[in-house]
Amino acid sequence: MRYRIVEVELARPVAPLAIGTDESGAGLIARLDGRLIGFHMLPLSPGTQLSQEATEALLDNAFAKSVLRARIEAELAQDSAASPAPPLPGLTIAICTKDRAERLARLLEALAQVTATSPFPFTEVLVIDNAPSDSATADAVACFAGMRYAMEPKAGLNFARNAALAGARGELLAFLDDDVVIDREWLTGLAIACRSAPDAGGFTGLVLPYKLDTDARVAFEARGGFGRGFERREWHAASFAHELHPVGAGLMGAGCNMAFKTDLLRAIGGFDDALDTGAPLPGGGDLDIFYRVLRTGRPMVYEPRYAVYHEHRETIKQLRRQYWTWGLGMMAFLDKAMRSDPEILDRHRAMRRWWHVYQMREIAKAAARLRLRDLSFAVAEYAGGIQGMIGEYERSERRVAAIRGQGR
Amino acid sequence: MKFSPMQIAHVDLAEHAPPPRSDGRPMLAVLWWRDLPLGMVAAAAEETPFSSATLASHLARFAAEQRAARDPALGAPLRGTYDGRPEDRLRIREARDAQGTLGWLDSVSRLPPCSAADLSVVICTRDRGPHLAACLASLASQQSPPGEIVVVDNSAAGDARPLCEARSDVRYVHEPRPGLSHARNAGIRAASRQIVAFTDDDVQPHPLWTSEVARVFSEGENAPDAMTGLVLPARLDTPAQVFFQMRMGGFGSRFVPVRFDRLLYENTQAQGAHVWHIGAGANMAFRRAIFDRVGLFDTRLGAGASGCSEDSEMWYRIIATGGTCQYEPRAVVRHDHRDSWRALHSQMRAYQNGHVSALVAQADRFGDRGNLRRIFRQLPSYFLRELFESVQAQEPERRRVLAEELRGWASGLRYVVDRRWRGKSSEKGPR
Repeated sequence: MRYRIVEVELARPVAPLAIGTDESGAGLIARLDGRLIGFHMLPLSPGTQLSQEATEALLDNAFAKSVLRARIEAELAQDSAASPAPPLPGLTIAICTKDRAERLARLLEALAQVTATSPFPFTEVLVIDNAPSDSATADAVACFAGMRYAMEPKAGLNFARNAALAGARGELLAFLDDDVVIDREWLTGLAIACRSAPDAGGFTGLVLPYKLDTDARVAFEARGGFGRGFERREWHAASFAHELHPVGAGLMGAGCNMAFKTDLLRAIGGFDDALDTGAPLPGGGDLDIFYRVLRTGRPMVYEPRYAVYHEHRETIKQLRRQYWTWGLGMMAFLDKAMRSDPEILDRHRAMRRWWHVYQMREIAKAAARLRLRDLSFAVAEYAGGIQGMIGEYERSERRVAAIRGQGR
Repeated sequence: MKFSPMQIAHVDLAEHAPPPRSDGRPMLAVLWWRDLPLGMVAAAAEETPFSSATLASHLARFAAEQRAARDPALGAPLRGTYDGRPEDRLRIREARDAQGTLGWLDSVSRLPPCSAADLSVVICTRDRGPHLAACLASLASQQSPPGEIVVVDNSAAGDARPLCEARSDVRYVHEPRPGLSHARNAGIRAASRQIVAFTDDDVQPHPLWTSEVARVFSEGENAPDAMTGLVLPARLDTPAQVFFQMRMGGFGSRFVPVRFDRLLYENTQAQGAHVWHIGAGANMAFRRAIFDRVGLFDTRLGAGASGCSEDSEMWYRIIATGGTCQYEPRAVVRHDHRDSWRALHSQMRAYQNGHVSALVAQADRFGDRGNLRRIFRQLPSYFLRELFESVQAQEPERRRVLAEELRGWASGLRYVVDRRWRGKSSEKGPR
């Protein structure tokens, strides 16, 4: 199954929507005067060619409210443009990568374009090459003038992120995974987020699908993907709407597109090496850092215009593993939080109970509807969670201690 | 911790005043644009004071909803659909061309007052002197004084008489037959104006209430047969009040006008038209002539009889027979929710009991079997779903209230089998 990704500019009349005979839907990315305002997964029968009227009716349904809201937001922005904007900090954009030079080059290319007209007073791109098996990454970075390269021999994403933190020159440090491509508004979006909350400790942004060309990618996006919506949100140390917050930190965004104040990250000791370690415990690092930033009392801001496109897992098998990873990362993070931050232990415990009931419910739902694939995802996530609960974090700590020892 | 007392703050976004800071409690912020209520936002103490970016984002969302629901160029007025939500008529073309929304907001949020001389305000009360005094005080400070104020005293002994007779602007009517429907009907009989507006003794109307009620009926041919308005919580000082407002939805929190008519009726007829979405008896008004057409309140229903729903059953009759009810949130009242768990529990029990009784009455009057399906299918599955949710969310408070709702529902089943009750429709209906 594949979906066509269609970008529509709603400020102008749109062309009738058509998909190929090998496609079973469209992922509609909507813009208004260039600004991202919506995304909609639209199932269609293969080869559908909609009329002009049908296309318009469909877009009205999906995006008319967003258009009106975006119009008003633009008006409000103009209204407040009269007051002077707070100055922006210097920016380091860090990409942690391992043996994926081709994808990295694609991202660097896009970064070279947007950073040429950066609103930040200082902008640098820093590539952290994590325990590379060859020189391909170094060679790829060398093709771009002015981009910094550093090598982190200790394998593990959070080792790489901490290397970026050590080397960053900007007061703001933005992280991108090597499997994303940035939207043309990405940097503007980050600047908007930054100006809107000068005291914020961190920022997260929208993650849209880069391609929807396989079953797994369509399935992942249809199940919600990384989508966190098109409304700006501020997250504080507590949330009325989510009483377990900030324990359920995944609501805020994802680690493939996040930024933090460099001094704050350094003050709280950077990323936890024992999470996001690669193969044995490939998750939880983003949850942990969001959680720890919010626990300092500094807010975080989710800004939809600070957007990237993520290349989702290609095969069902990889996707199932990703769900397993989510369960594992979540529960390992929770295990750690329970031991290191007893002050809100009641919230941790409530989250653990909630998580069990939620996963059971997902399993039961999928089973009742005989959706075997969804069932396998739900079971994988649950199994990952169980493993995370029973000492995975401690095992990971021992493993990374050994890696640290080798590095010395 | 859960359902802990909340602070209520009113914020006028048209004024660039500093946003309110929590006094340590969570905050329910009611956002306004001058006289126009825009929406409510609940926040933990840590989430206040709101940043200007947060307020701007709420303003954009709420202003878009207002414009879509009020600007004829964008498809307004909107009719109510299945769950009371307005139909979606917004199109990209019109949305794209909608400029100057802040100026538009100014133009719709400060209207000249509308005369309420045609309005009889009826307050039904029963043994609640201090509440009644507060209610009368709010009515005395209306920007548009109503044509008359009728207090219907539903107590056996006529306790409210001294309070009312001390005031020259209040007509006192004693209706000793117990039951809110009897009291409301006595108020209708006593009322001398074209429009009869009801409010309760535990309610304080906003100073523009009578003006906005009158405005709804002043629209000539388009004027509806009935109207309802927004009911905000007066205070959220106890867990029971917070629970009722935040967990049970209070008396509704819709901030856009909706026109309820045949569409809502047809959308939901299969499960008994979902008329309770139309509004609340604490803030409603009728064209007096509609009672000649559809009859008076059913005295088997309502507080003091089956428990509640005498109001929604009246709306049922109106929309079932082709009439219209306009929900207009500009007409604002504040309501004192039950402050103790015990009072809330008996209220929720009465609600379900009354709800079932109204469904039976509706089924009998119009022959709509959907009402019975609601009793035997939709309500039980609602109870099950809520039970599951309350387990997952670890909410013993919800389970306790749910048990009361179940009891109310079960005791309401007697109306289904009670032929004598079903045969006795006290007030003449259209059929």
